[in-house]
Amino acid sequence: MAPTCSELVAVVDNQVLTVEAPAVVRRSRLRPLVVLGLIALIIGALLSQGLFNSLDYFKTVDEVYAHRLAVGTTDIRLEGVVKKGSVVRTTFGANFVLTGSQHRDVAVHEVGTPPQLFQANIPVVVIGHFTTATSFTFRANQIMVKHSASYIAKNPNRVKAPNGTVR
Amino acid sequence: MKNLWWRALGPVTLISLLLTGWLGLWVTPRAQQQGDFARLVYLHPAEAWVGIYVSFGTAVIASGLYLWPRTRRASLDLVAASAMEVSVVFLVLTLITGAIWGRPTWGVWWAWDARLTSTAVMAVLALGYLAYRYSFDDPMRRAQRSAILALISAVNVPIIHFSVVWWKTLHQGATVLTPGASIKIHGIMAWTMLLSFIAFTLCFVWMTRVRYLIARQAQEDSRTRLTSAIAARQSEGGV
Repeated sequence: MAPTCSELVAVVDNQVLTVEAPAVVRRSRLRPLVVLGLIALIIGALLSQGLFNSLDYFKTVDEVYAHRLAVGTTDIRLEGVVKKGSVVRTTFGANFVLTGSQHRDVAVHEVGTPPQLFQANIPVVVIGHFTTATSFTFRANQIMVKHSASYIAKNPNRVKAPNGTVR
Repeated sequence: MKNLWWRALGPVTLISLLLTGWLGLWVTPRAQQQGDFARLVYLHPAEAWVGIYVSFGTAVIASGLYLWPRTRRASLDLVAASAMEVSVVFLVLTLITGAIWGRPTWGVWWAWDARLTSTAVMAVLALGYLAYRYSFDDPMRRAQRSAILALISAVNVPIIHFSVVWWKTLHQGATVLTPGASIKIHGIMAWTMLLSFIAFTLCFVWMTRVRYLIARQAQEDSRTRLTSAIAARQSEGGV
């Protein structure tokens, strides 16, 4: 009988001996393809949640003013700067005014807990919808603070710019 | 001399990391907008720098050199694999510290914006690269195919970098590598941030070297075992 793949044949003293070959871990040729498929699947899932859904994470107040009818009362993420002196804390959250770059305002009524950094004169993104199809009153269920990329010391006298000016 | 440099690398890395921690936690001032949360600027950007640019970049360059017939060497494949492992560590740390920073500042642990999503994709690609490597038996095929995957994955690097410029994101824009080259951090805060970048880069060099030496030793051990097994069989048969 012919030896199988896992057997070795040796001839010792004119006698044919068949011995078991040592176990060899042989991985499937399909394994790399399976791994590639899994990578593609996970990346596809991430992209469908992230980039495909919200490549631009929010609409600005100015954009909403330009396309107000198209926005209607659908749920959106709206970005603007919290107007100075407009913040009123309520038992359910906060009321404030969001301003765009062209000084156009949206009144926001937020129900929820504002984040720790929430304050006036800071850019925020609010999630929610306009109360009616044509109004500029926004009902939000979440506030996200969009902090700036500048890092300036709380005590400005301790930090100077390279040109010597105090920042 | 070369040996001395390598031996000094570990202690120098540790000292620079400790110095960064000391400056970041005790010496630098609180930030105007973020208060003490801004101290994460001495940790999170440096981790991202190493995870996305330095480690991943090293893996991609080593892979490219491996694929180029004139520069092909087995050691380049090991360098690529070692750097990619370090990249996974730093990418995961970047995502974790980003979430820790995001919760008190943004108000959420995670947001599906372009910067965060593309960084998560990068982490999956780096992990996928390692999984893909281990799915091959043949070392030549393993090296070649994983090098190709590394080069393809490199497409994501500019996407991450420019995501905050190309699209509207919750993630802040660049503080140092800004399009107009205007640095938005100054004084001791800027120097501490720079030190964190140096410290984490040194950490990358140390980790990659150690991982590379281990991988090379494992390869040599495997060769030695094979040679001695063949010799033992030959002596058994009286050859």
